[in-house]
Amino acid sequence: MYRYDEFDSQLVRERAEQFRGQVARRLSGELTEDEFKPLRLMNGLYLQLHSYMLRIAIPYGTLSARQLRKLGDISRHYDRGYGHFTTRQNLQLHWAQLPRVPDALLELADVEMHCMQTSGNNVRNISADPFAGAAADEIEDPRILCEILRQWSTLHPEFSFLPRKFKICVIGTEEDRAALLIHDIAIKIVRNGAGEIGYRVYVGGGLGRTPYLAEEIGSFIEKRDILSFLEAIMRVYNEAGRRDNIWKARVKILVHQIGIEEMRRRVEAEFADIKKGATLELPAEELARIAAYFAPPAFAALPAESPEYEAQLREHRDFAQWAKTNVHAHKMPGYAIATISLKSIGKTPGDCSSEQMEALADIMDEFGQAEIRITHEQNMVLPHMRKADLYALWRKLVPLDLATPNHGLVTDIIACPGLDYCDLANARSIPVAQAIATRFCDLDRQHDLGELKIKISGCINACGHHHVGHIGILGVDRKGVENYQILLGGSGAEDASLGEILGPGFDQEGIVDAVENVIGTYTNLRQNGERFLDTYRRLGPQPFKERLYAR
Amino acid sequence: MPHPLQVLTANRLQPGEVVYWNGSTGWVPRLADAQVFSGVEAEAALKAAAEWVRKGEVVAPYLFDVGMHQETIVPVKVREAIRAAGPSVRRDLGKQARNVSL
Amino acid sequence: MLVKGGRIADDIFTPVADGEPLSDGPIIISLRRFQAEKTALLSREVPLAVRLETAETPEILGEDVHKLAAIVLHIHHFKDGRAFSWARLLRTRLGYRGEVRISGHFLLDQIAFYTRVGADAFDIAQNLPVDSVKVALTEISNVYQPSVDGRSTIRDLRTARFAKAAVTPP
Repeated sequence: MYRYDEFDSQLVRERAEQFRGQVARRLSGELTEDEFKPLRLMNGLYLQLHSYMLRIAIPYGTLSARQLRKLGDISRHYDRGYGHFTTRQNLQLHWAQLPRVPDALLELADVEMHCMQTSGNNVRNISADPFAGAAADEIEDPRILCEILRQWSTLHPEFSFLPRKFKICVIGTEEDRAALLIHDIAIKIVRNGAGEIGYRVYVGGGLGRTPYLAEEIGSFIEKRDILSFLEAIMRVYNEAGRRDNIWKARVKILVHQIGIEEMRRRVEAEFADIKKGATLELPAEELARIAAYFAPPAFAALPAESPEYEAQLREHRDFAQWAKTNVHAHKMPGYAIATISLKSIGKTPGDCSSEQMEALADIMDEFGQAEIRITHEQNMVLPHMRKADLYALWRKLVPLDLATPNHGLVTDIIACPGLDYCDLANARSIPVAQAIATRFCDLDRQHDLGELKIKISGCINACGHHHVGHIGILGVDRKGVENYQILLGGSGAEDASLGEILGPGFDQEGIVDAVENVIGTYTNLRQNGERFLDTYRRLGPQPFKERLYAR
Repeated sequence: MPHPLQVLTANRLQPGEVVYWNGSTGWVPRLADAQVFSGVEAEAALKAAAEWVRKGEVVAPYLFDVGMHQETIVPVKVREAIRAAGPSVRRDLGKQARNVSL
Repeated sequence: MLVKGGRIADDIFTPVADGEPLSDGPIIISLRRFQAEKTALLSREVPLAVRLETAETPEILGEDVHKLAAIVLHIHHFKDGRAFSWARLLRTRLGYRGEVRISGHFLLDQIAFYTRVGADAFDIAQNLPVDSVKVALTEISNVYQPSVDGRSTIRDLRTARFAKAAVTPP
């Protein structure tokens, strides 16, 4: 993974000191709250329902053991002993205190971490496929481009006060494990007819009040032109994006207002202009230099099958249950990708205690895992496990409550922090997730249902990605009382689609029964081993409406 | 039509914690100790809070509606009940305003 | 207080509101007035400056921009970041060489960004110590991305120091 050199380290330290100065000016009264707010947001510090919340950037969701251990330490000493992994692969601490944040930033800088641009109207954390470097069909590790974009977008002088936030995602495979098309700029690494690697660029994805999937704006951008092309998009957006209404300020609104053709015309004109100056050309040497940081680890030459692993699967039923959902194929023979579920039944989805973080860091060291990944589904991934080590890994995860065998199943729920924590929320999401998970906890039932992605947001900002859940749940405020709307048929995978609202909402009592009825409709009507999503796409909302809203 | 009963709330600037206004004792952490206002008094309290903001004690003061159940102050909206009691899903972490039920 | 090149500078310009009579010396007038009275204004032989509001792109000025001694980018709210693009546009596509001044509602913490994209003068509130401007400009020593100011980027610094070094994988 990327390692800071002295320039990167100096920058994050200076940024932390700059923030210390800004905090001092706030505390002395030199800055009002209105003036300070955008400054603290640029360092990921929100004022939430109960306290300050600090959002720590985890670039492309990749952490070393040292960094994970430090996060455990920081969450213990600067917060209340846990953190929350988010749908943008970041970590949130929900109990930060303003005067202590500058010290926390310096400690993060010690392990090459920061909170820059995790909030505010700038380019946010750039997300990537959590299986990067391990997936068999990967054309190229997307994190190489992510790191290049991270540096280009950090403290960008022209684009730090955009109309609204800006989210970028990069994947390098056909399979989409990062919800690519819901981003403002989405980049897919592709090969052209001549076998050369380049980038297909999409623009204008985003959820919230008016959800859209991103549309293609550049079918094959050469590697050396990618920064010029992205800067062209950003400039068109910065100049023309709406500033009068925060609900209409994302680039998706601009794309839909002027149309993708006009957007393309403007971007290409700006792109041509930028290329004349050639200052943003990305040299092959720089690409190679960054790529070297993401070179694969030294894999051992192993046979494809591991007899120990096979034997352990036969002997230990619980382990086999876990492997069935949480272990995935790796490009190298004898290796596997392991998902660590943060969706223990009845616990808060995505939360991880300081003890769990530290124990995981020890586990990484023990199994020679240089990296752990955070997924947008709020789970963790060890990308390069030897099959022969999986049983030992699982044995260690069990007592830590990190071995829930539910990846991709109905209890693997995405939920934003919701009204329990968030100042923007209208309804609680975590208790709904917990109640659904508890209702469906029977593992045989979960396997019978198969792949079923439930995503819950506590408000229209959609941080829980409810628009792209097979079953999406949106919490709203109905005259001061929490109410929940159901959407069906969304997908954040390569078959991306936006869910459709089914009908009137349900209260906190009724929503779990409603979800159970929706799922019951599926089990009654499914054919040929279809997933829930396939049954919905085949039949449409009608049978589900009838079941839920029948007299 | 009677004015709604209201409480004035804010967050302390430095720790970020939720506080409520009581004219006699100042900014207090427990909803139970807050002063309940109505109508013109409430607006006056909100206006006076601007001075506390200026002094850097609190941020984002606002009024919210409450009802009285016997002697207990009960927020009308669930959001304020959660703000008073702490996260409903982590009872070990939030403020324990004992006389607010969710 | 006008700050230019990190120091307090004398402001030779007087702003004149629309409808007010023009004073004799160098003046700053609105874009609207410039468009309405262009011939008369350009025939004066004293420096002329035009003030653009945040929604007004410098492209409107076209070739006339080279006849102006200064362009004042007036920021109505610091959250509106269009002027960063306007300053850049002035210096690059329009090739403007005069003074690019930032006035209105902006933060000290934005000065470094404005400077990078080509602004060279700032109308700063009176009660701000000029030292804090210097700090604001130098707090972050190096920059990742190229901009109008032509500063060496971190990549340039790396290339200079580590020419041809290969990175050993862990």
